[in-house]
Amino acid sequence: MASMIMASSKPVISIAASSSFFSKPKLKQIPQLSLPKLPSPKFLKTQQIPSLSSTTLKSISLFTVTTLSFAPPSLAAEIEKAALFDFNLTLPIMMVQFLFLMFALDKVYFTPLGKFMDERDAAIKEKLASVKDTSEEVKQLEEQAAAIMRAARAEIAAALNKMKKETQLEVEEKLAEGRKKVEVELQEALANLENQKEETIKSLDSQIAALSQDIVKKVLPL
Amino acid sequence: MNGISNALNGLYDISGVEVGQHFYWQIAGFQVHAQVLITSWVVIAILLGSAVIAVRNPQTIPTAGQNFFEYVLEFIRDVSKTQIGEEYGPWVPFIGTMFLFIFVSNWSGALLPWKIIQLPRGELAAPTNDINTTVALALLTSVAYFYAGLSKKGLGYFSKYIQPTPILLPINILEDFTKPLSLSFRLFGNILADELVVVVLVSLVPSVVPIPVMFLGLFKNGIQALIFATLAAAYIGESMEGHH
Repeated sequence: MASMIMASSKPVISIAASSSFFSKPKLKQIPQLSLPKLPSPKFLKTQQIPSLSSTTLKSISLFTVTTLSFAPPSLAAEIEKAALFDFNLTLPIMMVQFLFLMFALDKVYFTPLGKFMDERDAAIKEKLASVKDTSEEVKQLEEQAAAIMRAARAEIAAALNKMKKETQLEVEEKLAEGRKKVEVELQEALANLENQKEETIKSLDSQIAALSQDIVKKVLPL
Repeated sequence: MNGISNALNGLYDISGVEVGQHFYWQIAGFQVHAQVLITSWVVIAILLGSAVIAVRNPQTIPTAGQNFFEYVLEFIRDVSKTQIGEEYGPWVPFIGTMFLFIFVSNWSGALLPWKIIQLPRGELAAPTNDINTTVALALLTSVAYFYAGLSKKGLGYFSKYIQPTPILLPINILEDFTKPLSLSFRLFGNILADELVVVVLVSLVPSVVPIPVMFLGLFKNGIQALIFATLAAAYIGESMEGHH
């Protein structure tokens, strides 16, 4: 390989050498002959480029062609061996191999796995769609549940009101009864008190007479 | 001095790549490049074997290997869909095989230790290192896009040659030659140049310095496979699309 690179670089070096060999005298000639009055370096440089491209390139190319065609025998053998653009039966064989690989890969890879992936995609999409449907169902069920709860709450509230009214009535009745009882007992107690008062007053009257006689006896010494 | 040059020559022989040297087989009187065929068989075996193992029993929740192959398939489908359009389905095997074959070929040239196997002449390298392979693939691409156009539009396909004006007829005809030419030479030149650059660097500086170039080569190899497949798909899509 290294020898190859060295060998291939040989003509390149000779081209470079030849170009310098051919271009040097012309470069010297042009500023001297055609433009002696304008020695500015910028203009000289611009003038050099067309002179190189127009005339010397042809001679360079001619020279390279001759050097390549009259290459030393060892170099020629190397170039002959290095068959980069060597078309032969390999080309159609590679075509057939590629087509075989295409059909085989299609059979074992592209078609089955692609089909499998598509089916899985479809299944996942279906499942997702069905999940959306159940969400609607869930909404309906939630609404139903809410309605049932509302009805139950209303029922309970009604029952509670009824119970409250009933209990209130009962309580009021019992209260009225209790008041009546208390009043009756109070009146009885008042009547008793009156009686006792009259009795005590009567007894006191009799005692008063005795007491006053005693007081009179004690005060008025007989 | 002589000893040193001998040692250097020995180093060159070890690291050397033999450009344009082929190991010939004779088949029915014709010559073939055996090294290209051998490496392409290995590449085909790798592709088919890994595909069979990974896709043999597809799971709903993919295993690691199946996941990788699904990713590759989706990538190929994506490339074909962007280039060809909605009718990309039948072209997935062609584009996919093109991409996978070139990609595995390129990387096999960089990663597989082919040099362990000695050949009498020439050496084993990436199959895409040989002009026969790349021209074969490019010609198949040409056939594919002609087939795509003709099967879609019939003989009306040829009306694209005088569009937008009949003046462009020569250029349109020329395109049919430049397309396979550019496809094949781009791939061939890139892979060959990559191997040459690595070999030259290795022979000059045997350690460390060639490593970044090798990584660059790996990157470039992948890009080349993608470019080839994408362009093939673009050509097919171009010949299938309706003209105005």
